[in-house]
Amino acid sequence: MPDVQSMVLEFVNKLRKRKIEGSQATARCTVELLRSVISHHRVPHANQASALIDAVKAVGAQLVAANPVELAVGNVVRRAAVAGLDLLDASDDDEDVNGKGIGYPAMSAAVVAAAARSTLRPPSLQTLLEGTPESATAPYTSSSGADSESKTADKSSITRKLKHDVIEGVNQLIHEIAGCHEQIAEQAVEHIHQNEVILTLGSSRTVLEFLCAAKEKKRSFRVFVAEGAPRYQGHLLAKELVARGLQTTVITDSAVFAMISRVNMVIIGAHAVMANGGVIGPVGVNMAALAAKKHAVPFVVLAGSHKLCPLYPHNPEVLLNELRSPSELLDFGEFSDCLDFGTGSGSPLLQVVNPTFDYVPPSLVSLFITDTGGHNPSYMYRLIADYYSADDLVM
Amino acid sequence: MWRRSASFILDDERRRTSNSPPMADNTTRAPFQNPDAISAYYQTRAAHHGVITSDWLAQAQAAVGGGVSGEENSDSSVSELGKDKSFNVIEEFNGWRKQPDLAEAVAAIRALAAVIRASEASTMMELEIELKKASDTLKSWDKTSISLTAGCDLFIRYVTRTSALEYEDFNSAKSRLLERAEKFGEISCKARKIIAMLSQDFIFDGCTILVHGLSRVVLEILKTAAQNNKLFRVLCTEGRPDGTGVLLSNELSKLDIPVKLLLDSAVAYSMDEVDMVFVGADGVVESGGIINMMGTYQIALVAHSMNKPVYVAAESYKFARLYPLDQKDMAPALRPIEFGVKIPAKVEVEMSARDYTPPQYLTLLFTDLGVLSPSVVSDELIQLYL
Repeated sequence: MPDVQSMVLEFVNKLRKRKIEGSQATARCTVELLRSVISHHRVPHANQASALIDAVKAVGAQLVAANPVELAVGNVVRRAAVAGLDLLDASDDDEDVNGKGIGYPAMSAAVVAAAARSTLRPPSLQTLLEGTPESATAPYTSSSGADSESKTADKSSITRKLKHDVIEGVNQLIHEIAGCHEQIAEQAVEHIHQNEVILTLGSSRTVLEFLCAAKEKKRSFRVFVAEGAPRYQGHLLAKELVARGLQTTVITDSAVFAMISRVNMVIIGAHAVMANGGVIGPVGVNMAALAAKKHAVPFVVLAGSHKLCPLYPHNPEVLLNELRSPSELLDFGEFSDCLDFGTGSGSPLLQVVNPTFDYVPPSLVSLFITDTGGHNPSYMYRLIADYYSADDLVM
Repeated sequence: MWRRSASFILDDERRRTSNSPPMADNTTRAPFQNPDAISAYYQTRAAHHGVITSDWLAQAQAAVGGGVSGEENSDSSVSELGKDKSFNVIEEFNGWRKQPDLAEAVAAIRALAAVIRASEASTMMELEIELKKASDTLKSWDKTSISLTAGCDLFIRYVTRTSALEYEDFNSAKSRLLERAEKFGEISCKARKIIAMLSQDFIFDGCTILVHGLSRVVLEILKTAAQNNKLFRVLCTEGRPDGTGVLLSNELSKLDIPVKLLLDSAVAYSMDEVDMVFVGADGVVESGGIINMMGTYQIALVAHSMNKPVYVAAESYKFARLYPLDQKDMAPALRPIEFGVKIPAKVEVEMSARDYTPPQYLTLLFTDLGVLSPSVVSDELIQLYL
């Protein structure tokens, strides 16, 4: 356990100092950490699965607090918890089978099973009149307590099996995160046609793989890359594209509106996708989205499933954004005199704002391509309902 | 002759009523029809709002008097037992609905619970049939109230599903149904609290909120925000002819929230200083749009054109199986309007009490099922009715 604690603290530090970049890398590290947490966690006899889930959520809360802007961390923690929740359903049914022999009073099997199912059902119109499920979970602790004395040997094997199953689920999650690029790139050939002009902004590995997959299928097309100031990652992307044989044009961010009428499609990678279909992307994509809307150019967003966040953004430009160092914009040596604390108000006359992210509202996005296929922005809530449990949606 | 509607059903009805001979007597109508097409739902709302005009009183009395005498005179179409029960249901419902803090659907479910209590059925099937009859009676009595229809449907649905859970004892099943029906009132209150909690994040310090109509849910949201010490101010529309603006401003000034009253026509003028619009809903329809007090559509259009978000606060039991194609594609809900001066006889007055706001003008819906975008509504409805 202490080993795991130190691992967690180390990771929290890394997140806080923003040492890990990119949502895929962060997601993968987080899941691997959660896997070690689960395998090292000592589980009590009663309510095993829920104890595991609580442990996962506790660690997850620490990680999310370290870097609240990196939404992939929270997403992945919730997915891991859901993997445990599915097993909670299964394990409680097992315990129920054991508990019936002890003569649990009055309730018929059908009712108890229905109550078990209702503990996990998301709030919905159907269940409106069902009432609170809390009363149903109490019987389980009593029944599992009753037979623990008689079946301790069985319990430890059940524990091992449970952990094994949860870790299986988590491994599947890792596999999914690692494989998202290939699955998205497979769909490239349906969307990119011969002699097209594609515009992209900044650098995204998903976009790179997407474009290269289309190139491999012998589509010939051109790419405009907006450089993505102030980090100029567009330059790196342009180099990679040329290395793979694609004809590339580099333009400044300010030239996007001028060039958009010559472009057939805008493809960008997202940092995170919110539940309403809004996109958090590198700074500058909102401008590209507005330009695309004005000229009726399709705006396509590529996002792996670990980027899907169940939250609705209420002030994303401020709350889901990060301000980076002004040295990326201005050279401190040249401007040091402007940055002195000025007279009067006590703050410098020259301020530099360097936001990392941009929010694109769902009305500007034409299509989302995830590893499960292409979707409408108004359909994202469905994917989120599939991937996450109800608790995360309401609270 | 200059009315064309996308809904051919409505056109058909109109043609039929214009062809048939006009009915002179209230009592010759179907016994459980609300006479004069005055919407009982909106009348009750007006009563809650405390705006009672002499015209309205006279019409209300005529309506009640005509309705009762109509029921007493009818004999052929309805059996004895059924008539007694139906009479009880509507009386019961009216009794509950008069209470200002009680949601319409809660009143409906309480009325149906009274039917269960008074029922002499001995099997589940019989009980279900009685409930279905009572619910149909309620629905046909006031065709304009969406919460009523939705509440009845929800309860019948719940009864059907519960009976499928194989309760061995009929009496215990019956008592469970009664207990759930009583609890529904609490569920409704809890729903309002959940909605208030979900919407807190969307109200930030220093924002200006435009509110239309007097929705108890929206009031709860603003109360909770005030209790959380958020600084915001509210613009409320006057809300003619119900006068909701003055009532809302009364409530809000008790909470020390700065309020400004606007004429209904001043909404576009003030829209640029507004940060968000909050409205309640009388019903949420399948497309994700809402049916609400007259004026909501107007405000949503203005807000949309100026890129202001429109947030709707509605409990989940208001989701209804309706799909209006245009403004006139709903059962007409009329209520009398006082102009203060005499109107010439030949001048018509648009008396409709509500309008339909299509989903593309709404940003988000806050419900007790969570925050939803308008496209999620049809999904939820499908889950309920499958």
